[in-house]
Amino acid sequence: MRSTRAKGLGLRARPKLFALGFQLLALVSFLAAGACSSPPPAELSSSVFTPAHRTTGEAARDFFAIRPTAVQPIPFPHKTHLEKKAVCADCHESAEKGPIAGIPSVKTCMICHSQIATDKPLIKQVTGYSEKGIEIPWQRVYGFTREAHVRFNHAPHIRASVDCATCHGDLAKQTVAERVVDHSMGFCVNCHRQKSASNDCLTCHF
Amino acid sequence: MDRRNFIKLTAITGTSATLAGCGNPEHQLIRFVPDDDVVPGVAEWKPSVCPMCAAGCGVNVRVMEADVETTRNGQAGVVKMAVAKKLEGNAKDPISQGGLCARGQASIQVTYHPDRLMHPMKRTGARGTGAFKEISWDEAIVELTGQLDALAASGDQKSLAFLTRPHRGRRTALAGEFLKGFGAAAPIGYELFADEVLRRANGISFGHEQLPTIDFARSRFAISFGADFLGTWNSPVAQSVSYAAMRQGRPGVRGAFVQVESRMSLTGASADEWVPVKPGTEGVLALGLAHLILANKLRPADAGRAGAAIDGWSSGLPDYTPARVAQLTGVTAKQIERLARTLAEQQPAVAFIAGPPLAQTNGLFHALAVNALNVLLGAVERPGGTGFVAGSMKSEVRSLKSDTLASAKVLLLDGGNPVFDAPKAWKVRESLAAIPFIASFGSFIDDTSAHADLILPDHSYLESWVDSAPESGSMAAVPTSAGPVMKPLYQTRATADVLIEVAGKLKTPVALPWKTAEEVAKSTATASPQITAASPKSAAKYAEPVFDGEATQYPFHFLPYASLQFGDGSSAHLPWLQEMPDPLTSAMWSSWVEINPQTAERLRLAQGDLVDVTSSQGTLRAPVMIFPGIAPDMVAMPVGQGHETFTRYASGRGANPIAILAPATESETGALAWAATRVKITRAGDGDGRLIMFGGEMREHPHEHETR
Repeated sequence: MRSTRAKGLGLRARPKLFALGFQLLALVSFLAAGACSSPPPAELSSSVFTPAHRTTGEAARDFFAIRPTAVQPIPFPHKTHLEKKAVCADCHESAEKGPIAGIPSVKTCMICHSQIATDKPLIKQVTGYSEKGIEIPWQRVYGFTREAHVRFNHAPHIRASVDCATCHGDLAKQTVAERVVDHSMGFCVNCHRQKSASNDCLTCHF
Repeated sequence: MDRRNFIKLTAITGTSATLAGCGNPEHQLIRFVPDDDVVPGVAEWKPSVCPMCAAGCGVNVRVMEADVETTRNGQAGVVKMAVAKKLEGNAKDPISQGGLCARGQASIQVTYHPDRLMHPMKRTGARGTGAFKEISWDEAIVELTGQLDALAASGDQKSLAFLTRPHRGRRTALAGEFLKGFGAAAPIGYELFADEVLRRANGISFGHEQLPTIDFARSRFAISFGADFLGTWNSPVAQSVSYAAMRQGRPGVRGAFVQVESRMSLTGASADEWVPVKPGTEGVLALGLAHLILANKLRPADAGRAGAAIDGWSSGLPDYTPARVAQLTGVTAKQIERLARTLAEQQPAVAFIAGPPLAQTNGLFHALAVNALNVLLGAVERPGGTGFVAGSMKSEVRSLKSDTLASAKVLLLDGGNPVFDAPKAWKVRESLAAIPFIASFGSFIDDTSAHADLILPDHSYLESWVDSAPESGSMAAVPTSAGPVMKPLYQTRATADVLIEVAGKLKTPVALPWKTAEEVAKSTATASPQITAASPKSAAKYAEPVFDGEATQYPFHFLPYASLQFGDGSSAHLPWLQEMPDPLTSAMWSSWVEINPQTAERLRLAQGDLVDVTSSQGTLRAPVMIFPGIAPDMVAMPVGQGHETFTRYASGRGANPIAILAPATESETGALAWAATRVKITRAGDGDGRLIMFGGEMREHPHEHETR
């Protein structure tokens, strides 16, 4: 008797839920679109501390783990540099030293480009940034969201002779770096299994 | 596909389509090219010295990369920089030995405080209103140099005054050299809890005008007269480490510890036995113990010179019989006899004194009495006793008195906040108003620097060269200097560099032995001048302590004590310390008046009720804290709150007990007797929520000690 009534209630509630779902969806899309069309806040920090997301759009993106495709200010040709026998760590020098490979400073570019190919239009753009003392606003291609609680460290992977291309794709075939390898947990765990590296939760998560 | 999956799918595809072009706002910040290369994600540990008190604990600073907001060529942006993230005690430092107190931990907030002064400023509004405008360093230096040149032109060099805290190492030495070269008197050193009386007594008894270092680690019995050595006095971290070794560091031996005081401090709470005495009679108890040891021949009487400073010593202190001592101090004769026996039996034993007993009008007597007891116990310059570190540096400073600032025409402020922590009767505020030009080097606007005309903000200690040569804390001298651990965040300059620059730019330049702040910090400490042991005019004799206010009108002794969080109030602007619960009461973010439960019951006061505390000097209002560890005829308040102006966290918070303090002085040394005021208490109303406590009520066990 009791279960029948509950079932009946559930049946009646469903269309309502369905409608509610669409309303929510519409709301989220509307808010997200609103947040997007207005320019992002110029101030770097708010006087009020809040752990919450600054915009609804940001919250929605985080929730669904959606990350925008990186659009680079200068179409950096990895291919060209690798053809000239440069290696990854020449520019991403922190990869061997610490957890984060790092995006090289414009200072690193100028080590060579103060002399080499100075007349090319893209290099002139680079020189322009350097002269203004401003970093090229490169956008990050890879990386985990903060919510993933992943602690990744490049150095031990390089010590274990994992090729850069294993996780970042063959850059010799790419011009601008693209996210060609999906850094899902499955991807990491598979490799750890094959190489008998630890699969303990705390190896990667904190 | 069922409905649920359909909803999920549309939600994902819909929002992702909407959001794909958004980009993260942080990608649109301008990033400036950094000055140096930092490996991201890798911590470096760099040494420095904690500046929060004179103890001079060595710290290790965790330095990592961070994005720092900055402005370059009028453009706002961020730059990657190596900045300090965390402080820990330096295990290789003989003072801190790897430990760091709460104030030291919180000192990192000095650098990142939102109200830190970022650039030089000139006053625009009326004095004390805090209206300033930004100026350049060039303008600021010209302004200061101009004021000093004007003094020199009128032949009035003596009217330059420099206010600082005493015992600040080579920084005080630099100020001293600057003033000497300019033709002015030595810097004025002011600190509320300054231990001047103890230094003088040690000069008289032992020829060392400095604070003692106590070798707890090798002692079996310690008796402290009012010294809060685990909380606020002298070198708390070093003393805590040493004390821990005395209690638990030797297998089978647990050193005993007795605390004599009238209000239970954090140290008293840690003692095996807590002996409450009447305020201003601590030295009497010490001599009572000495009398018993001498009379019963418990120890050979080889007290020598330290004993000679005490009246009646050579004849065995006949005036200090247990009966009389019991009558004066309120400690029972039986307890005195037991303590004397334990002191003589447990060797090595050590006695020491600091804090409230020395802040009575007869403070020097108490210190001399304890020194004499120590000699009788054989505890001076011996393992398990007290000793004096050789070669500690000392720079000459004048002490602040009510008339010190009267003749000043130009005043330079470099630490010390007398508007807040000097008695109102000294009229510091009025003196400041009469000084034509005041410049401040501090990193914050506080009660005193709010009166400044020119602000020349110093680097934070993490951004500059630092040095220390503490006079106590370790058995050997520990002169330390350390370089900056990070680059300056703002348009600030090291005060040493500013003084050196101004010295060179004066019309009649002042020659200084240093060229940069780095040289000042690295210069070797000059040995302290040898003190010729000055004997007191006559042998010290117990004189009744004199309290301000008649006992009939003002029935309570008033004890303003150094707070564990704020010391004398100089760290009240750090929010970590504001929100740190007081260890004995669990109160935070507020002021309170500690009252004995019996007294509170008699006056019909409940926890949190508001009371007016009135002395001959004025009235303050604060909530009641029922506190069983205080004598029934005494009320106590922590010092540190009640700032008028001291950043967003401390301004207008709580009440300042110093504001109602009488200007009583210790009769021999002239030091401020900050525990010699009497007050009355009147109920002002029900609690209004201004007493903020972390935990529940105090648990009281009034019958606990009755079995003794």
